[in-house]
Parts: sequence; structure tokens; C-alpha cells
Amino acid sequence: MPANPTFLGYRRPSGRAGVRNQLLVLCINGLTSPAARRIAASLPGSRLVATPYGRGQFGADKAAHERQMVGLGRNPNAGATLVIGADRESVDHVAAAIATVGKPVEAVALDDVHEDALALADRGLRAGARLTHAISRARREPVSAAELFVGIECGHSDATSGLVSNPLAGAVADRLVDLGGTVVFGETLEWLGAEHVLATRAATDGVGQAIRDVVLQREAAVAATGTDLLGNNPGHENIRGGLSSIEEKSLGAIAKGGSRPIRSVLAIAQAPDTTGLHVMDGPGFSPESLTGFAAAGAQVMLFTTGAGNSFCNALAPTLKISAHPEAVQRLREQIDIDASAVLLGTADLEQVAAQAFDLLLETASGTATWGEILDETAEVFIRTGSSY
Amino acid sequence: MTQPTSCEAIALDPSDNVATALRALEPGAVSVRCGEQISVVTAAEPIPMGHKLALTALDVGAPIRKYGSVIGLATAAIKPGAHVHVHNLRSRRARAG
Repeated sequence: MPANPTFLGYRRPSGRAGVRNQLLVLCINGLTSPAARRIAASLPGSRLVATPYGRGQFGADKAAHERQMVGLGRNPNAGATLVIGADRESVDHVAAAIATVGKPVEAVALDDVHEDALALADRGLRAGARLTHAISRARREPVSAAELFVGIECGHSDATSGLVSNPLAGAVADRLVDLGGTVVFGETLEWLGAEHVLATRAATDGVGQAIRDVVLQREAAVAATGTDLLGNNPGHENIRGGLSSIEEKSLGAIAKGGSRPIRSVLAIAQAPDTTGLHVMDGPGFSPESLTGFAAAGAQVMLFTTGAGNSFCNALAPTLKISAHPEAVQRLREQIDIDASAVLLGTADLEQVAAQAFDLLLETASGTATWGEILDETAEVFIRTGSSY
Repeated sequence: MTQPTSCEAIALDPSDNVATALRALEPGAVSVRCGEQISVVTAAEPIPMGHKLALTALDVGAPIRKYGSVIGLATAAIKPGAHVHVHNLRSRRARAG
């Protein structure tokens, strides 16, 4: 690896770099998602992200909604953002927050067009066309790998995840952190039973205590529902793969973040204040967890799996890693990084980690992931309460 | 962390009392690696790939250790070489009731 590895990225007014240059069609209210779909379908190359929610949300749930909308709108992989919603006040609120990082943004609202959804689609299409034209001027340029922010996720884990794929993702994370980059992993419930290990890696006692606290909060919340975690997490596919308890799954899962000090515990969709390794207190369901990372500003995701898991994030290219010898054969067009040689003992982990790091930089420079090619992607919004 | 090698099962920490099968195992002698040490345990039954087998006899209520940490308690007496999974191991965490 060269001393100062780089990738080819799009420099943004915010100072950050994007690894893709898409128009984000961001619908912040479920009432206008059909119009948003029409707009995005008429703008090839745009990326539709539409929440089905957006009204009747209060308190922490509303705050998390706004962080996700604004955070996705600011993600540097979007060259520009078109905000679509039901009323002028809410679209202006979100658009203004996105524009503070210098991002080109336009906003269209249903009440601007006398509640005419077809007129909204027409107005949004014109605004989106202008933004698409503007971002087509962007060119890739060399950017230090230190400017990468990578989210690390696991899904449909089995014993090979804890033995190989998660330590492999962790080795890539360590390389990136050592270069000055930023890494986040989440899924609080999958720290349960491993929080004593995780807390010893906290940069400060306060962060260590915060890790223990958020785990106990999630554990208490699950217990309060009167259900048992077994069968849900670990799920049935985890159990088939040999994982017997949440403790066993967690101890394998935490390896995916590597071994560097944990700088902070982030809330859902909260951008980290520093480079280095961070953890996000968020849901264990991968689609939601990934949206939390993308809204925090992650540009690329590493996603480990055992038997296979095709789901990818919409805004951030997602590299799938498996060490399961059968899965990597069966899912050739879904697994980006085949780590089975490590499991079989014919390659060592550091060697495959070096190749994975190179692929991470190549992907940041524009090489497509299988998930992008097949569009096995979505953003799935995190709710922390019900609508009222 | 210990690297898996061409042995048939792996224990990840010297304090572990279970090993993980690196391939589907039939009953009989199994080579188990832990760090630089290779030992042999007799699988008492078929062990699917990725599943665990006991390295020692475990009493009811005994802590079961993997990665050097407790992953649950034995809910039945477990013989050396037996399959260890949800039928005889129970999480200590987030239990209903």
C-alpha cells in the first residue's frame, strides 16, 4: 500500500468528497412519495429516497426523522438534493439545513401547486433537471483515503462471520483509521454480551460507560416487550448457521469495527465530530442501521454476511463480504469480497484485508458494487416512536 | 485473533470449552486448533459446519465459553464431543419474564 493512498472523488463545497455524483430526490413526507417517484423515474441517474412518514411525529422520533432527512440530503455522494414535501414550511426547513454545507438544493411543495400532485411532479421534474445539469459539471480528482468515512454492518451472520468476515472488516477499519479516516459500526443489540470487551476499547471512561448504558437500555426495552430475544436475535438464519445466543453473535459481531479506540457513541444519523472509530446506538435491522450511517455522512459501506444478504444502502456503495465457501459460489453476483480462502486456511487474513482495502478505494473511485449494478438498494427510515 | 487453518475445528481462546467446526464433521476424531496448539477430541455426533462441539464435560448450569467470554449456560449435561447449540445452551441476556 502506498504511504498516502488516494481515491478519485468529487470535491464538494462542504470540503468533503463524494464517491458518487447523483441527484438525490429526497421526499420528506409520505403524502408526496408518488410524485417523488414520478420525478425520479423521469430523471435517469437520480436516486430516489422517500420516507412513508413525516407527519404526526414528536419528540425524539421527530428529531431522528429530521436528522435522517437532513443527513441524507447532505451526504457527499449526492451532488445536489431536490427536497419534495407536503408543505412549504417543512421543505424549506430541511432544504435550508442541507444548504448550510453549500450543497445545491431546491425544494418543491404540494401546497405551492394548490395540492395538485401532477403539477408537483412537473415542477419537481423541472427543478431536478436543473440540478442534474449543474452536477454534471463535477469531475473526479485525487482525494486522500483519510477523507473516507466507512460504515460497517453485518447481516445474516453465521459462524464464518465471527471467525473471518468480521475480523477482516475490522482489519480494513484499522487500516483506514490509521490513515486518518473515519469508521462507524452500530447495531447496539449486537454489543449485548460483548459490551465488557467493547467498553475496554473506549477512548475515555465516559465513552465506555455510554456503551454499557445504551446496551442496558436496549436489553431492558426488549425484556419489557415480554418476548425472548432468541429466534429474533439471533434470528433463525443465524441459528441455522450455528450461533446459539446473542452473546455469541455479539462477540463475533464487534470484531467488524477493528481494534482502534472508540471515540464516541453516536445517536441515530448523528455525524461524528472527529475522525477515527465511532459506534452508533441504533437498530440491529441492517436496512435501518445503514440509513443511520449514510445520514451520518458515510460514503461507503462494508457489509459482512455468512449465508448471504443482498441488501445494500442506496446512497453509499455497499461491499458485501462473505467467508462461507458455498455462499460465495452460489452468490457470485452479490458477494463483492470472497474471504473463504481465509476460512479454508489457504490465505491469511492480512493478505485478504489488503485486497479488500484496495477494492474499497477502487469502489470509492467509481468501480461499481454488485448491489449498485443490480440496484439491491434502499433507504429504510428509523422510527423511535409511533405516529400520533 | 487466532487464524483458522486447515484443522477441522477451532477454539478461539485457551479458556474456551467449545470449538467451532470449520467443516461438517462426522462422529470420530477431530483435530482442534487453539493458537499454536492442536488437540484431538472425539465428536460424539455429526456437527454441521459453523456449529460448536464441547471440548470438555459440562454440567447443567455450567458457563459455556467462546472467544474467551461466556456465551450462555448449559441447560443439560453435555458430554465431550457433543453438539452444543440452542437445545443445550441458553443465553443469560434479554430473557422474557
